[in-house]
Amino acid sequence: MSSVNKEVITGNEAISRGFYEGGGIVAASYPGSPTVEIIEKLKSYDDVYSEFSTNEKVATEVAIGASMYGVRSMVTMKHVGVNIAADPLMTFTQTPTNGGFVLVTGDDPGLSSSQNEQDNRVWAKFASMAVLDPSDSQEAKDFTKLGLEMSEKFQGPTMLRITSRLCHSRGIVELNDRIEDNVKEFDRNKEKYCMIPPASQDAQFFIKDRIKKLEEHAYNLEINRLEERENTDTLIITSGLMYNHVKEINPNASIWKLGMVYPISEKKAKEITNKYDKVLVIEEMTPFIENELKLMGIQCEGKKYFNFTGELDISDIEKGLYKSDVLKNKKEYEESSQKTIARPPLFCSGCPHRPVFDILKKSKTKIVVGDIGCYSMASLFPFEQSNSIISMGASIGMAKGMRKAMTMIAKEEPVVAVIGDGTFFHSGIPSFVNLLHQKKDNENITYIVLDNRTTAMTGGQHNGSSGNFNERDDMQVNIKSLLKSIGFNRVKEIDQYNYDSTKKLIDEEIAYEGLSVIVANGPCALKYKLNKPHFYVDPEICIGCRTCIKTNCPPLRMKKYEGIEKLKSSIDKEMCVGCSICAQVCPVNAIKSSAGLNKEGENIDN
Amino acid sequence: MTTNIMFAGVGGQGLILMTRIFSEVAMLEGYDIKSNDVVGLSQRGGMVWGNVRIGDKVFSPNIPTGEGDILVAMEPLEGLRWSKDLKENGIIIRNTKRVYPTLVQQEKEKYPDEDVENLKSKYNVIELDAFKKAKSLGKKQVANVILLGILAQHLDIKVDTWKKVIKENVPPKAIDMNLEAFDFGYNYK
Repeated sequence: MSSVNKEVITGNEAISRGFYEGGGIVAASYPGSPTVEIIEKLKSYDDVYSEFSTNEKVATEVAIGASMYGVRSMVTMKHVGVNIAADPLMTFTQTPTNGGFVLVTGDDPGLSSSQNEQDNRVWAKFASMAVLDPSDSQEAKDFTKLGLEMSEKFQGPTMLRITSRLCHSRGIVELNDRIEDNVKEFDRNKEKYCMIPPASQDAQFFIKDRIKKLEEHAYNLEINRLEERENTDTLIITSGLMYNHVKEINPNASIWKLGMVYPISEKKAKEITNKYDKVLVIEEMTPFIENELKLMGIQCEGKKYFNFTGELDISDIEKGLYKSDVLKNKKEYEESSQKTIARPPLFCSGCPHRPVFDILKKSKTKIVVGDIGCYSMASLFPFEQSNSIISMGASIGMAKGMRKAMTMIAKEEPVVAVIGDGTFFHSGIPSFVNLLHQKKDNENITYIVLDNRTTAMTGGQHNGSSGNFNERDDMQVNIKSLLKSIGFNRVKEIDQYNYDSTKKLIDEEIAYEGLSVIVANGPCALKYKLNKPHFYVDPEICIGCRTCIKTNCPPLRMKKYEGIEKLKSSIDKEMCVGCSICAQVCPVNAIKSSAGLNKEGENIDN
Repeated sequence: MTTNIMFAGVGGQGLILMTRIFSEVAMLEGYDIKSNDVVGLSQRGGMVWGNVRIGDKVFSPNIPTGEGDILVAMEPLEGLRWSKDLKENGIIIRNTKRVYPTLVQQEKEKYPDEDVENLKSKYNVIELDAFKKAKSLGKKQVANVILLGILAQHLDIKVDTWKKVIKENVPPKAIDMNLEAFDFGYNYK
């Protein structure tokens, strides 16, 4: 047995481990798929301070502060989070990094849980940062450590770019000890960190020079590895997970695997590519590496054969290699999944968002401005109650813009905008303040803050108000009080599990000719483990009207009962958590709680 | 030689625990391993799937099209969805408990019972109502471990290794129940 300590861990867990081993001290993040587990795993290391901050900009600033003070730091986020973080990042990069600083971005080729597919290697180039692109868990760990070292050596932030597939993929990783005693002195020279002229003008030369030095460093960088094969005229240039897909196919080609995809050493690239007739670049999303090589005047092809969007799976690469004549035999591909009924996500059993969107569907509004969170799913069938989903917190300002447009062109219809509590704290507050600017009394907008007391979509992280409801959380902002103190005088709170009074309130506020806010404050059924006695349908009373079915609660379905001709509603008691919404919408009281039934009665199950 | 195991189910059914346990078991037995899980939006009752690949040296965590050896399905329709990735005569280990997707609930589509049944003519299907059995053992959450027990019948891995990893991955109070569930699956015919 070898004495090396090994673990089989995900890419996310490996980054946490790498930060720990690399002597990391402060890490911050805003939860977003696919990178959530990095910070969650870091909680297990006592030597590291970590937090989920209120948004990515704040998280980045926390990490910047720690780095500036001289300790190794890291900030992690999903790809679109970098847009929020870009303001501090674009200026921080002009300063000479003190304690190593790594920005982890979770890109999402294929948009499995994101609103866009932006390629953050482009951001890194814009910000004059080196980009490391690991291909498995071991490299995710190693590159995190390397990123911290390079950050200090070249005095700039390093981007560790990973994709959702790699974040959640597991591999075997060798564990090492933590590097201790690498804390640097805080440099109080304000010329370096106060980014106003003339220091900021000098900084332009500094960052240009940094990239040049990194490019020179790339010439002999070990993580850019050439795997030469004899008797081939083809070179494949690739990085990240794509490398392992290519190895799986094992085509007759040499492989130049880039661990650092930006900057690329021009000298090295020319030396290597000159030896081959055909150079293919295999990368997901934009032709980033391909364009870098073409800017150097290197003849190569990439996006001609490989898709510009979506994940590239093994079969996609095989198809491209066949088209480009590297693979000689065409493999016959079947669709990898059987064509059958789709299963999109839906609100969980007992979800507090369900009654709100059921009510909005029945209401007079034809415009619901949506936002990002679990409630984004209201845009899906059967609710279809979101006209737009753009970015975190966008619903608030967009609803104002729509309403002002109506005023200016003399149109009139009710507008509703929804926002969750996590999103409210992330970026909703400035937009709420802005609503009071040039507010007109007769402009009808209804805002619904869906306060389920947690950042639910990413697995139930804390946010600005969850400390009111969860003793392990500490921030205790009261959303209603905050809005009142900002200056909103019509703010009403409601428990949306009380369906009739919620419907009455929402209908009233939509009818109200002015600006109103409703805080709907039912807790997340998943996070707060709603578990009340289940409900059941009495098929003799049920009229088969399907009002309950339309709420789309998972345990409900129409079913054939013995001795009854028409289909009647039913509830799977294993899935029911007892929220009672179906019973409240039933027009004939056919749905009843199993609470208080005797032992025999508890077996009532549709 | 790489052995490719696929997992399929509905968000919330605990697939990640299954792929994690199996990955750790495989590592302790000296295999190289790569695995995959779908995490994110699909957690909310959507379709989820995972892979574990074990062998001497495994590169990609993705299973090449049509190379699956065994498919473990926590839900019949989800088993159907991924069955095409199986090799000819591959094995399907299937929980029979249906979870109806929105389109079936809203009566736009019929649950594909026939297609699910027809898989038996093409593959070696082993099925049981794992939730029902799990509840009789004490908790429906151990349904996954029952299916892992059945999976273990088809792999050359020591039972003790499985049990060691299961013990480490479940709450202390639930260890006995989980081991009982594993044994039931391991002896299930």
